[in-house]
Amino acid sequence: MSNFTMLLSLQKIAGLLSLAGALLIVAVVIFLLKSATISEDKTTAKEKVYKLRSRYIWSIIIVAVVLLAYSFRSLPYSLMKAKADTEVSVVAYQWGWKMEKGIYNGKLDDFKGSNEIELPVNKSIKFIVTSIDVNHNFAIYNSDGVLVAQTQAMPQHKNNLQYRFKEKGEYKIFCLEYCGTAHDFMVGTIHIN
Amino acid sequence: MIQIDSTEIKKQKKLALTWAITFLILFPVLITLGLLMRLRQGEITETGPSEFFSYMTLHGLGMAGILFTFAFAALWYLNSTRYVRLNLKFGWFLYFLILIGVVGLLYGTLIGKFGPGWYMLYPLPFKGTFWPAWATKVSVISLIILGVAWLLGILHMIYALAKQYGGLTNLLGWQYLGKKENITEIPSVVLITTISLIPGVFALIIGAAMLIMYLLQSFEPSLAFDPLMMKNMVMFFGHTLVNITMYCAVGWVYALLPEFTHREWKVNKAVVYSWNASFFFILFAYLHHLYMDFVQPTSLQYLGQVVSYSSAIPATGITMFGVIAQVYHAKMKWSIIPLMFLFGMAGWAIGGFAAVVDSTIALNSSLHNTLWVPAHFHTYMLMGVVLFIFGFLFYLFSGKDKEEKDGLGKAGFWIFVLGSYGFLLMFYLGGLNSVPRRYSNYSGLEIDHVRETGAHLAQCAALFVGVLLVGLILMYLSLFCKLIQQKVSTKESNS
Repeated sequence: MSNFTMLLSLQKIAGLLSLAGALLIVAVVIFLLKSATISEDKTTAKEKVYKLRSRYIWSIIIVAVVLLAYSFRSLPYSLMKAKADTEVSVVAYQWGWKMEKGIYNGKLDDFKGSNEIELPVNKSIKFIVTSIDVNHNFAIYNSDGVLVAQTQAMPQHKNNLQYRFKEKGEYKIFCLEYCGTAHDFMVGTIHIN
Repeated sequence: MIQIDSTEIKKQKKLALTWAITFLILFPVLITLGLLMRLRQGEITETGPSEFFSYMTLHGLGMAGILFTFAFAALWYLNSTRYVRLNLKFGWFLYFLILIGVVGLLYGTLIGKFGPGWYMLYPLPFKGTFWPAWATKVSVISLIILGVAWLLGILHMIYALAKQYGGLTNLLGWQYLGKKENITEIPSVVLITTISLIPGVFALIIGAAMLIMYLLQSFEPSLAFDPLMMKNMVMFFGHTLVNITMYCAVGWVYALLPEFTHREWKVNKAVVYSWNASFFFILFAYLHHLYMDFVQPTSLQYLGQVVSYSSAIPATGITMFGVIAQVYHAKMKWSIIPLMFLFGMAGWAIGGFAAVVDSTIALNSSLHNTLWVPAHFHTYMLMGVVLFIFGFLFYLFSGKDKEEKDGLGKAGFWIFVLGSYGFLLMFYLGGLNSVPRRYSNYSGLEIDHVRETGAHLAQCAALFVGVLLVGLILMYLSLFCKLIQQKVSTKESNS
């Protein structure tokens, strides 16, 4: 995905793909609405459709295989154990974020972090994310409001999210997993200098 | 093939009509809850968070529940009036059992404010809740009752069909794959009933196990389970149930569309391969819900994407091309029933396409838990399953002439489709603008663009819900007229 994402955000790629798919389906529906009123012997009509169908099935298999191979090239999982320039421990709670530089292995009750943190630009940052109570989702938004990275904050488990902030500025953390009454007010801030 | 006598058909129809009327009462109530949510997100009303999240919970559980229940009831009706004897008394027993579950759930959510979302992601119902502990117990017990009713109903139907058609392997259509000439032929709806409902058995067993674990913890708070395992369980349960709702609905399209195109749609090797492949895909597709849980074994993440992509092949290549082969140059009338089936297929395809996009791990990291998710599943539920259900309802409520002119129903249909796609578009645009899902309002989002876009789109969505409700009212009026006509003609023929 990396070549495309230089030109378009992932959201735009998803939107364009889905729009193209929807338009194609609408075109097929319009064609069928019109063609159904014409009469043809059912055997010859079905033969034509089945001929097209076998081409379609082979095409979709090839497209699926190519897309799978291409999209598997850059997945977040390979970075779970990879080394990073800076590590940040993140503990989510109802309803806020605690962040602190370094790897924290102590009791979560004793974790002292802040909902704001300063991090360097253009360095690989590994967020080690967990939760002290229920499931949350650690989602990073840039200043334009684009969701740029996320991982779940699950109690009893640690998810490692690596991200490189390529631009200076203020990034916001929102919770993307419903976690109770004030779920929509769980905000954190990352200052990239 | 057995002959079902007309008295039995009449009795089964009465049961189906009771299911239908119950569905028609609950459906707009649940839409109204959705509308209230969008009005709050659009800052038009000031519903508090506890009300919002209990509405959200009831809307999700209720919609998934009534759509699956009606899909099951429709298959019960078709099978029991055409191919197999199903126990009518047992059918009524299931109806009342499900009604008890529904009443319990309404009480738990509306009175008790039970609000952890449909998926009640463990351990949310036990930590920091705004609802009392009794509401959790009532709601969980109600869900168990519903699950037991569905499980019993499925097992009864599969058992009766297996007995009728010579065993489970015949129901799965495996006899078509050998070289024998004299094989037991099965109707397509029987094959699809089996393929759709057997994964439902697995889902309901896992779901019941999970709900019992919840119940145990609600009585004994010191208990604790692994959240990752619980998430796998709830997603397997929920995703599979919603997934098979669509496949059940496709079952009656296979059975009823040929009545309008006058072309047979029989089971053959391709159909058997396709539906057996779907059987496998249904069981593993849920894995795409856990992409952002990086601790989930990576092989399962890959499997999730491979299966999600693969499921599109039989669905489009066999079923949707099957519809094309049915209608292409068929010299047919586009009366309201086939029209709903065609548009239902389109809704399934459009929503399915957006789902495949979301099931791409690399894209999911930008779409997961944004409004893109409700966008795609509302598309194939509202513009897929719901249209299939209304197509079936128009079939059930119509007299002998299923192709009669129905200006009122058609006007309702077009307005409903227009309103629905407008409503759905707002979800898609929200997803593309990174607006989070399951927010009672967006005022806490400290980025102007996301906050304002989210609220503005919610306002537009509420407007479109108004449009789709107008369409729905017209369709209801048309159905009501048909029901009255049917009653009158039955009385006339009796006298």
